[in-house]
Amino acid sequence: MAEQVAAGVPLLSVRDLHVQFPTERGTVNAVNGVSFDLYEGKTLAIVGESGSGKSVTAKTLMNLLPRTARVSGEVTYDGKDVRALAAEKVKHFFGVQMTMVFQDPMTSLNPVKKVGEQIAETLRYHLGRSRGDALEEAEELLNVVGIPEPGRRVSQYPHELSGGLRQRVVIAMALACQPRLLIADEPTTAVDVTVQKHLLDLLDELRRDRGMSMILITHDLGVAHGRADDVAVMYAGRVVETADARTLFFDMRHPYTEALLRSIPRIDDPVHHRLDPIPGRPPELVDPPDACAFAPRCIYAQADCLGGVPELSGLVGLHRFACLHPTGTERGMAAMSANRAAGVTAAGLPVAGSGGGSG
Amino acid sequence: MARFVLRRVVLLFAVLFAVTFLGFSAMNLLGDPLVNVVGVLAELDCEGIEAGLVEDTTVDAASRDCDTVAAAKAQYHLDRAVPVRYVLWLGDMATGDFGTSFQNDQPVSQVIREKLPETLILLVMAQIVSLGVAIPWGVIAAYRANRAFDRGSTVASFGLLSVPNFALGVVLLYLLALRWQVFPSAYESDNLGGLVYSMVLPALTLGLPLAASYQRLLRTDLITTLQEDFVHMARAKGLPPLRIMFRHALRPSLFSVVTVFGVSTGALIGGSLVVEQIFGIPGIGREIVTAVIRDDFPVVLAIVMLVAVTFVVINFLVDLFYSWLDPRVRAR
Repeated sequence: MAEQVAAGVPLLSVRDLHVQFPTERGTVNAVNGVSFDLYEGKTLAIVGESGSGKSVTAKTLMNLLPRTARVSGEVTYDGKDVRALAAEKVKHFFGVQMTMVFQDPMTSLNPVKKVGEQIAETLRYHLGRSRGDALEEAEELLNVVGIPEPGRRVSQYPHELSGGLRQRVVIAMALACQPRLLIADEPTTAVDVTVQKHLLDLLDELRRDRGMSMILITHDLGVAHGRADDVAVMYAGRVVETADARTLFFDMRHPYTEALLRSIPRIDDPVHHRLDPIPGRPPELVDPPDACAFAPRCIYAQADCLGGVPELSGLVGLHRFACLHPTGTERGMAAMSANRAAGVTAAGLPVAGSGGGSG
Repeated sequence: MARFVLRRVVLLFAVLFAVTFLGFSAMNLLGDPLVNVVGVLAELDCEGIEAGLVEDTTVDAASRDCDTVAAAKAQYHLDRAVPVRYVLWLGDMATGDFGTSFQNDQPVSQVIREKLPETLILLVMAQIVSLGVAIPWGVIAAYRANRAFDRGSTVASFGLLSVPNFALGVVLLYLLALRWQVFPSAYESDNLGGLVYSMVLPALTLGLPLAASYQRLLRTDLITTLQEDFVHMARAKGLPPLRIMFRHALRPSLFSVVTVFGVSTGALIGGSLVVEQIFGIPGIGREIVTAVIRDDFPVVLAIVMLVAVTFVVINFLVDLFYSWLDPRVRAR
């Protein structure tokens, strides 16, 4: 890869990943050619709305898709073809090398098994620990993830713990075999806002202490901010913009990224400041038109946006985006002013005149 | 826990009271029980004879027949009103006296002691067959849901469910006992081994349709459980499919099966009436059929009560089992 800029071989490399689900309404194209690299010790945030394909991407990496899913593309972990490993039912790879934390801690723990046993189970299966040793280690892990009174908690059932504690248990479970890659699929979406920051900080700290790499999947750009080294923004099953976190937050090119950032509240916004929601809804993934999927919701949309899917351009490992009229460029400015003058975008979305928008 | 047990004990007594009262009334409404004890002598007008108004037709010794009638009345409390008799019967029950059979003057407790083991062995074997068949069957069907095996087993289970007991019994008897001679066709009681062996066919007859319904329930629940997040989590932990199936998915999927297991006990006892007839097993099922026909109500009532106790106790155990299956039940 000549255009590769960052040094070394990535720990995880995804190339041209496609995932389709045959349904009665037609084939759902959940992931359409996603590529990214993740280097040892780094955090990649994958950001997108529901239906953007971010969770399906994560599940594909972990081989958790239903059997009906059709997958193509390459997933390479440390030089090994992950999909081949999964097909060969290789033992001690998932759960040891890479593992995953799920969105909802209320449902991702087995309700009928004590939390200690659920953690110890992995240690016993993968590392061959005795029952007693594994339970002791489980207790230690609960301590690591900041659960008070771990000695008492190991013999409790999930329903006896709060949501925040449960998610800590899930994290402890994921960490048990010292994985090198942790995929966290919306790890804080289902818990109280007050607990979210603690959990995210915990994940960050554990990642640093253990030199883990992490894929942090979220719909909230705010969560990615300050925690991710790189960010990939997904829309309709594609990566539409990817860059290092700083570039993405302060010099974004894709209108969708811009819209996402505008839709999150900021602490320094004036009181009663109105958030800018993104108009419209995420697109259908059955029979997508041959056009930019975001065009119907994009205030920059021009006629050429409807003429084909824009390629992700730029250098691998550097800033890449898939937009013909990128925000912050002359082409983007021109498109915006043309749309404002017309009062409507090429895709038919009404736009307020110049200086418009809510104050 | 203590309160839970106490509630169950109260329920047990309520059920027993209702069942025996209904049974007792029904048996008394069906005819004069005296006829069943003394036969035609019940027709004698003993009061008239005593008063000298009616001529005593007894040939050999005067009033001997009337003595018999009086003795029978005293023994079975037949000279009292039905509600009083019921209370007296309850009192006898409470002291462990189940009365004597009208047919042969045997104590009812002895009748039951003789017939119960056969039926118990049959019922236990039938449930072992049903669970032993249903659990692997349901697991495999759910693991490969909607594939060839699952579809085939849907057909097979509906087939088993729609064949009546007697037909299935006769088919099994013909194929496995007469044609291939794998199992004996007749009941053997020489030794326990032979007894169990000869009970295999009856147990299959009773157990297979039950296995079919358990399998349907287990399959459905397992398919639901397998879509739960914690199963995905177990997969993400890298555990192999069989381990996930048995250590994670099976236990939370057993609720329906366990519930129906408890409820089906009653149906199973009903089924054993037919099956005991087909295979010639001298058990409780055959006994109650004879007893009902002959209006032998001490035996009928005792068996009815036995069935009711069994039913309530098994469902009590099922409830205890729930709390083992799901710790969240314990909290409530």
